[in-house]
Amino acid sequence: MITAQALTKRYGDRVAVDGIDFTVRPGIVTGFLGPNGAGKSTTLRMVVGLDRPTSGSVLVNGRRYAAAPAPLREVGALLEARALHPGRSARDHLRWLAASNGIPTMRVGEVLEQVGLDGVAGQRVGRFSLGMGQRLGIAAALLGDPPVVVLDEPVNGLDPEGIRWVRHLARDLAAEGRTVLVSSHLMSEMALTADHLIVIGRGRILADCSMRDFIDEHAPAYVRVRSPRAGEVTAVLADLGLDFEPDPDDPAAVRVLDADAATIGDELHDARLPVHELRPVESSLEEAFMTLTADAVEYAADAPRPRGRTLVGVPA
Amino acid sequence: MLEAERIKFWSVRSTPWSLLALVVVGAGFTTLTCWANAEWLAGADAGDPPTAYITFGIQLAQIAAIVLGGLTITAEHGTGLARATYTAVPRRGRVLAAKAAVLAGVLFVAGTFTALLGYLGGNHFLALHGIAVAWDAPDLQRALFGSGLYLAVLGLFTFAVGLIVRHTAAALTLVLGVIVLVGNLAYALPGGWGEWVAKLMPGNAGGTIATPVGFDPAALGPWTGFGVFCAQTAALLGVGWWLALRRDA
Repeated sequence: MITAQALTKRYGDRVAVDGIDFTVRPGIVTGFLGPNGAGKSTTLRMVVGLDRPTSGSVLVNGRRYAAAPAPLREVGALLEARALHPGRSARDHLRWLAASNGIPTMRVGEVLEQVGLDGVAGQRVGRFSLGMGQRLGIAAALLGDPPVVVLDEPVNGLDPEGIRWVRHLARDLAAEGRTVLVSSHLMSEMALTADHLIVIGRGRILADCSMRDFIDEHAPAYVRVRSPRAGEVTAVLADLGLDFEPDPDDPAAVRVLDADAATIGDELHDARLPVHELRPVESSLEEAFMTLTADAVEYAADAPRPRGRTLVGVPA
Repeated sequence: MLEAERIKFWSVRSTPWSLLALVVVGAGFTTLTCWANAEWLAGADAGDPPTAYITFGIQLAQIAAIVLGGLTITAEHGTGLARATYTAVPRRGRVLAAKAAVLAGVLFVAGTFTALLGYLGGNHFLALHGIAVAWDAPDLQRALFGSGLYLAVLGLFTFAVGLIVRHTAAALTLVLGVIVLVGNLAYALPGGWGEWVAKLMPGNAGGTIATPVGFDPAALGPWTGFGVFCAQTAALLGVGWWLALRRDA
């Protein structure tokens, strides 16, 4: 269980985290989402005491992280995979971590095997690929067999097999009754992994609900109807009193929000209108996320430059 | 915690290399200096007592101690390891105390061993010219153990600077500059105040413990000088400690 209350972090004038409250419960995987610069990493760093909150508090199992006598046995965290010395071997890295928290040395071998690094345990980690470093970071998080596991961008640099592995790991850890908090930019991956979502933008909580509710609320499912006689189709839909909107991607299509494909198909058949496409569309987490965070993006890409002016090769 | 920092200290290659450099260069340079100067020292017009040369190599060995002391802490911040360390042990004071203890302990042993080895090597050549320094010569044993003490505190001095600046190159440059360069240049300062500045420079004050008889007759006494150096180191450690507990990792 992780509990944040009015948690705030300021860097000078900039408010990175703005008085947020949330609870991460055991037994499920909670996804932590937000655009770049939203305050995710800062929040996670405060969870494990790396950054001091400007005000407010965040408690792990009812107490401050730093108050735990052996914190690695309470919270296993992967924050930045590269938080290690490149000249040290994977085994030695885990050995000192174990020693610092009174964790039996045999755990080192166990977690190395669990993450699939037992074959390269003696190699210096500076030579590790991004994915291997990530696995080592996960091994470090699991070392103390903690009831709370925090994984920040755990699938960065992992191959498809590794991504699958992390997904199953997170779900297994939750199934064992642990509290699992995972952040990721990969929406499709998050949709498969998380049961519950906490979405943060510009330092504030934008949503804190189940995955299903989040998608339904921010990007509801619809039926896409495409016809060469779109004008007449919309007239029929309007007559039926259905809620629909034009499809932004295709002028010949509309999105019907409150009827199923069968009903719409039957009605259009009765009206003797040709239908080229009639398709129920389940919204993705990505769409829901984009809708919600559209105005909360801190570092949006620049709009494309207007064409027509030569920007290169201008004669002096 | 001590065990964790001990594992960390010995599991990077810079540690054995620095220590090897410290011993070889330190003992070797003492031996070399004694070999080169033995004949002159044995002569009638010698200006220095032979004992002034018997721990001379520590002047070079201190560079390795500075590097090791600095790396012990700046490698943490330079590589991001500090985040793992402070996550594992949020009570940062305990981390720092363990690191300092491991560093000082190892440097004390290595420094004393180096001085002893240098004494054996250097004394061999002094003995050839009939001016051997006896094992029970005044201040000799104090200087041998003092070499260990000096390097241990010098390591801590650099450790403290590293804790404050959090950057390997900056920390090493600063300390090497102050100890080696500025320390020697300060002797060129004029007048009584210049003499005091020179005497109180950390390397000059602390180094007195590591030589039976110094070259500079005006230098502080060995324990006084070492005391001054310890006080300077303690002050820096205090600042570094205070900062470490407050800064974000």
